Amino acid sequence: MDEQQLRIFVDLVRQYFDRETGRLPEIGSPHLGDATALPIYDFTGVIGISGERQGCVYVTAYREMLRALLLQVGETDVADNNLCDLVGEVANTISGNARIHFGPNFMISVPIVVKGTAQAIQVPRNIKAYIIPLRWHKHEASLVVSLQ
Amino acid sequence: MFRFGLGKYRTIIISITLFLVFDVGVLAMTFLISRQIASDAVSLNLAGQQRTLVQQLTKTALLLEQDATQGIIDSSGNSSFSELKELIGTADLFNATLEAFHQGGRMVDGRGRVELTPQDDIQAAAQFKLLEEMWVPINVELQKIKSLKSNAKPDLGPLLLVLVADNLNLLTVSNMLTSRMESLSAAKATNLRIVQIAGITLALINFGFILYYFLRQLRTSDHAVERAQKETEDILRTTQEGLFLLDTDFRMGMQTSHALSKILGMSDLAGRDFLALLKPIVTPKTFDTAKEYIELLLRHDVKEKLVASLNPLDCIEVSSPQPNGAIESRFLNIRFNRVFDAGRVTHLLVTATDITRRVRLERELKESERKVQDQMGMMVHILQADPSLLQEFLRNAIKGLDQINEELRTGTATTGMSAKRIDMLFRISHRLKGDANALKLEAVAQSLHAFENLLDGLRANPVLRNEDFLPVTVRVKGLYAEIHAIQDALTRVAQVRGVVTVEPPKPVQDPAIAALPFVQQWRSFAQEIAQRHEKEAELSYQGLDLAKLAQPLRDAINSIVNQFIRNAMAHGVELPGERKQRGKPAAGRISVYVSDAGDGFLELSFRDDGAGIDPEKIRVAAVRTGRLDATAAKLADMRKLISMIFEPGVSTREVVDEDAGRGVGLDAVKDMVTRMGGRVRIGTTVGEYCHFRVQLPLGAAAENANNMTDVNREAA
Repeated sequence: MDEQQLRIFVDLVRQYFDRETGRLPEIGSPHLGDATALPIYDFTGVIGISGERQGCVYVTAYREMLRALLLQVGETDVADNNLCDLVGEVANTISGNARIHFGPNFMISVPIVVKGTAQAIQVPRNIKAYIIPLRWHKHEASLVVSLQ
Repeated sequence: MFRFGLGKYRTIIISITLFLVFDVGVLAMTFLISRQIASDAVSLNLAGQQRTLVQQLTKTALLLEQDATQGIIDSSGNSSFSELKELIGTADLFNATLEAFHQGGRMVDGRGRVELTPQDDIQAAAQFKLLEEMWVPINVELQKIKSLKSNAKPDLGPLLLVLVADNLNLLTVSNMLTSRMESLSAAKATNLRIVQIAGITLALINFGFILYYFLRQLRTSDHAVERAQKETEDILRTTQEGLFLLDTDFRMGMQTSHALSKILGMSDLAGRDFLALLKPIVTPKTFDTAKEYIELLLRHDVKEKLVASLNPLDCIEVSSPQPNGAIESRFLNIRFNRVFDAGRVTHLLVTATDITRRVRLERELKESERKVQDQMGMMVHILQADPSLLQEFLRNAIKGLDQINEELRTGTATTGMSAKRIDMLFRISHRLKGDANALKLEAVAQSLHAFENLLDGLRANPVLRNEDFLPVTVRVKGLYAEIHAIQDALTRVAQVRGVVTVEPPKPVQDPAIAALPFVQQWRSFAQEIAQRHEKEAELSYQGLDLAKLAQPLRDAINSIVNQFIRNAMAHGVELPGERKQRGKPAAGRISVYVSDAGDGFLELSFRDDGAGIDPEKIRVAAVRTGRLDATAAKLADMRKLISMIFEPGVSTREVVDEDAGRGVGLDAVKDMVTRMGGRVRIGTTVGEYCHFRVQLPLGAAAENANNMTDVNREAA
């Protein structure tokens, strides 16, 4: 994955926050992480990628951030179901736009939402993943890109 | 149908035809015989009528006679005129009937006009003839009466005379005739029944045959169909390929193989629209091309082989999301073959195969080839580099990259990374670059240089955002990949060394090394022994300068080499004349090589191109020295025999001289090497060479030094 492709994912996340809340998230210092030590917070929206490259991209966030995000967009029901839907929507937006950017050589799945510190999220082993921390209204989230 | 013959329907058609023939035959016979019976009934009736007429004539004639005798006048005033008229009428009717019996013709009987055929029965004809003969005299008299004028009084006497005389006979003959007619009619009725019974029986038999044959055929066909269906089902259930027929409307057939659902990842496929099914799993472009391709195949004017290479579904990737967020990718190969009926393409046979394993292997192979190519370039430098230095560099490189990544990770979200931290990254990179250059790992050095350029660019930027470090992170990942690739290459080399005994890398011959004192000493020693044995020798050395080794190790190697030289010149290297005969140069060649194996061991390689180790000579020596009895020596294999040359007291030389014969030298070598924690291996081919490989630990114990002098002394 080159810098340009990585930047597309970062921009897609940023655009989502901008469009929905009118406020851009702060992008943290990008770094690398081993498959066994990737950040997974309370709710995670995962999109699988196959084709030219195999792996996954996910957005993971703490409950507080998603709750604040829901309230920001006028939704008062901040139950877990809605938080799941929200992180799914973020991933779905990324997924839909990524299809446009990457073309047919990348096959991008419909997002899957995982609640809790899911051990089940399958990322390619022996590959260092890109971790881009996000900060919005002092709440933290992360975008993780792990592709072979 | 007839153009192609009756084929399998021949029997059934013949049977049905026969059935119809029997039915029509019976019908025709019934019709014919019925007509004859009807005709016979007329004859019977008329025969009966003739009998009555005879009685009537006699009665009328007797009445006329009585009238004439008694003078009775009838109602018209004429005497017995009505009876006479009746008499004549009766006679005419009798005559006409006789005539009709004879020649056939229309007659009037009690039921009206009837057609009478001439009687052809011989018996009946004879009876007719008899009747006619009896009738003739009566008829003559009657004609006379008939010819009288109406007012004349007829003389009935002669008529009565013949009538009375023949009346009984006529009646008898008429009765016989009637009886004959009856019997003829009865016979025909019997014939009719026989014909009908026979015809119906044949028709029934035929019908039974048809039924039997047809049922048997039906059962055979059913069995064949059932068997064919079972076979088809077995094939469809068992085949690992997805099979189905596609019609001209792109609709899938009702029968599909069981594997199809698994291959396509869908169920209930029978009768579905193939294109609708294909659309969501391939790209729009592939879908359009596939549609055009299928349409082409369905056209009769396009050659299948010509368009086969255009199949866009030759290798398609199908992805399905898994519950854990990953995508499972599979690769499918979908082929199409035309199905013809009467020269027209009616269907396409579609074969879907899961080729995931093949595609993955191909990709892995490609990736592996690419890696091998990359590694080959790297190998040149890696193999030239000092292994311990290389390992140290790799460890440091990973450590350095981990440090860089840690610096990136701890960068704050708000202020970004400080210039001070960038400097730190730069320093780490620069240090690694220097190390890489020292080891001639140019590719790594270049990557680190590019990384430094990137950091330089960031340093020049007065306002840094975190996302500006995206390219830095990408570079770091690339560097990790390069270092791991070198580690993989090293692992591969180690694996190869572990599997195959390869010669350690030999540096180019260095004249300076050749002039080293210990090399000079070995050469001189080899020459000295060669002269003693009237042989010639050339010794070459490659490898480490022994002077750089620790004293005990250096002494050990020197001692071992000296022993090997003595052994080679005494046993291995042949006399110059013998060598020439074997196509070898006159001087025996001895190659010595000492290297650091990189695994904590020093490796000594000693090779001579002499006669090698002759197992037969060792057998003899073993028996001579009492090590083995004759039988054990004969049965001993090559490995066992060769191992014996390291045993004390075993020498192939029968004569002891200053260089060999006591069987001490190699035994002492082995003992010393073992005590130092090393090992000795031998390779040999009779008539070609003998090769000793000795491995000694670099940290060999100093106390072994004492033993070396013993070796020299004892060997000498």
